[in-house]
Amino acid sequence: MEGEMPKVLLVDDEERFRVTTARLLGVRGFQVGTAESGVEALEELERNPYDVVVLDVKMPGMSGIEALAEIKRRQPQVEVLILTGHASVDAAVEIMRLGGCEYLLKPCSMDELVEKIERALERKAMKEGSEEKP
Amino acid sequence: MDLVRILVVDDEEDFLETLVNRLNRRGMSAQGALSGREALKMMEEKEFDVVVLDVRMPGMDGLEVLREVKNRWPFVEVILLTGHGSVESGIEGMRLGAFDYVMKPADLEVLIEKIQQARERKILRES
Amino acid sequence: MLKSTIELARYGIPWLGPAMAFLGGLALLAEGKGQWPAIAVIFGSVLSAGGIYSLLRSLRKGEKERALLDVRMLQSHKLASLGELTAGIAHEINNPLAIIGREAEWLEHLLSTMPPAEGVPRKELLESVREVGVQVNRCREITQNLLSFARKMEPIFQKVDVNRLVEDMVKLVETETQGKGIEIVRDYQQPMEPIMTDPPGLRQVMLNLLNNARQAIEGRGQITIRTRALEDGRVQIAVEDTGCGIPREHLPRIFDPFFTTKAHGKGTGLGLSICHGIVDRLGGRIWVRSEPGLGSTFVVELPAKPKRAS
Repeated sequence: MEGEMPKVLLVDDEERFRVTTARLLGVRGFQVGTAESGVEALEELERNPYDVVVLDVKMPGMSGIEALAEIKRRQPQVEVLILTGHASVDAAVEIMRLGGCEYLLKPCSMDELVEKIERALERKAMKEGSEEKP
Repeated sequence: MDLVRILVVDDEEDFLETLVNRLNRRGMSAQGALSGREALKMMEEKEFDVVVLDVRMPGMDGLEVLREVKNRWPFVEVILLTGHGSVESGIEGMRLGAFDYVMKPADLEVLIEKIQQARERKILRES
Repeated sequence: MLKSTIELARYGIPWLGPAMAFLGGLALLAEGKGQWPAIAVIFGSVLSAGGIYSLLRSLRKGEKERALLDVRMLQSHKLASLGELTAGIAHEINNPLAIIGREAEWLEHLLSTMPPAEGVPRKELLESVREVGVQVNRCREITQNLLSFARKMEPIFQKVDVNRLVEDMVKLVETETQGKGIEIVRDYQQPMEPIMTDPPGLRQVMLNLLNNARQAIEGRGQITIRTRALEDGRVQIAVEDTGCGIPREHLPRIFDPFFTTKAHGKGTGLGLSICHGIVDRLGGRIWVRSEPGLGSTFVVELPAKPKRAS
């Protein structure tokens, strides 16, 4: 894991947001893939390995919450971050029920996003580390 | 019936300790924090049902803590405690989402009833 | 034009009946063909005229009341959807805001990694771009507040002892009126069945009304709080003050958002409109009676149980 750039999949239906955020994450040392929707994200996850998925909660078609559930089902080792417009009660319930990934209030600064991604990576490393123990 | 998990936040150490002990003796699971920051840190590590929060504290004051709690843990109910009772801060606190606004010294029985009602609200909202 | 013609017809035609009977009776009298039938017809026509008059009056009154109800319903509908509207706007704005924030950060990155060039005020450009980020954060605060406001509008119904809840809030206000010449009088109906309502919502309403009552009184005065249960389980809470009262022309707008009569920049004018919104959400009504110079009485009426929302 050392020396390897962490891989982040960015999922958001707003093209401009996706493109610019991907660039900014790239500058900070992440390898970034993007997807326009929940469905595309799942397809991308089949094709390439990712450490963290950053997911917007409100998307047309498959919602962020549905995508989260699917990702957790298919690739439980992947950490997920939900970007939400508001810590709404419904979203909070679902997020907690689906395995307590973190959420971020949108709009957020790059610093906040990177901090949460790094925490997610730490969590992932801890989980993998503890699995290796006999 | 699960134990009610309470976090009491007050900068007055004696008051805090006394209240936490009395709540625990009454069959609740209560913990204490001496400041807003400490309280938020504790909430990051453990889940609570009800927060009993003093409005006037040095550093991060009660209403600021209330705002943070409501933003990050929307289900947790907050009961505001005030030593001197200002109607304006009561209105503000209720507007920010507090469940109740109680004056010190608070009768333990009354406080416990309010905690139960707050807890019931959390359960209703979650279902 | 058409409307007034219809109005005229509606309120005019019924009179034709008694008018014709009256004239007929007079004609009978004139012909001398028997006094009594003629008198009976004339008497009958007068009676029916009276009946028609009172019928038309109550019709008019009913229409006026319905019109008033319509205005009130429209207002409460408007305020009820205020929460939805607010949430909608806030969510919509968050998206472009996020993009603006990102583009500003990208600009900042490009500028800071640019080699220094002739005539390019790099420092100022960076400062300016950073300021954009600051303002985006400010907007975020605003939308978060709006969304909290909208969310707060959802009630959760629990069993509430109204007298207890009201008294709790009264005690709080009393700490600020004691020794200031304002007397608080309680008139609670005992016993009173608990109702299903939203406790913090009702507390907010009570605090606002009590606070307004307190502020309306200059110098000495009295605040009376009354609770009553109606036969069908509805509960009425009245907050009466002996304050300055509300001028008649302000009454129709008293529950409007941002309407305030506080000249000295105190208060945002949201208090009563928030109360109205909460009470409406609880399935109740709120209204006011006021006499300038004598005082005001605000009444909150709540159902025993909320009606199942559609």
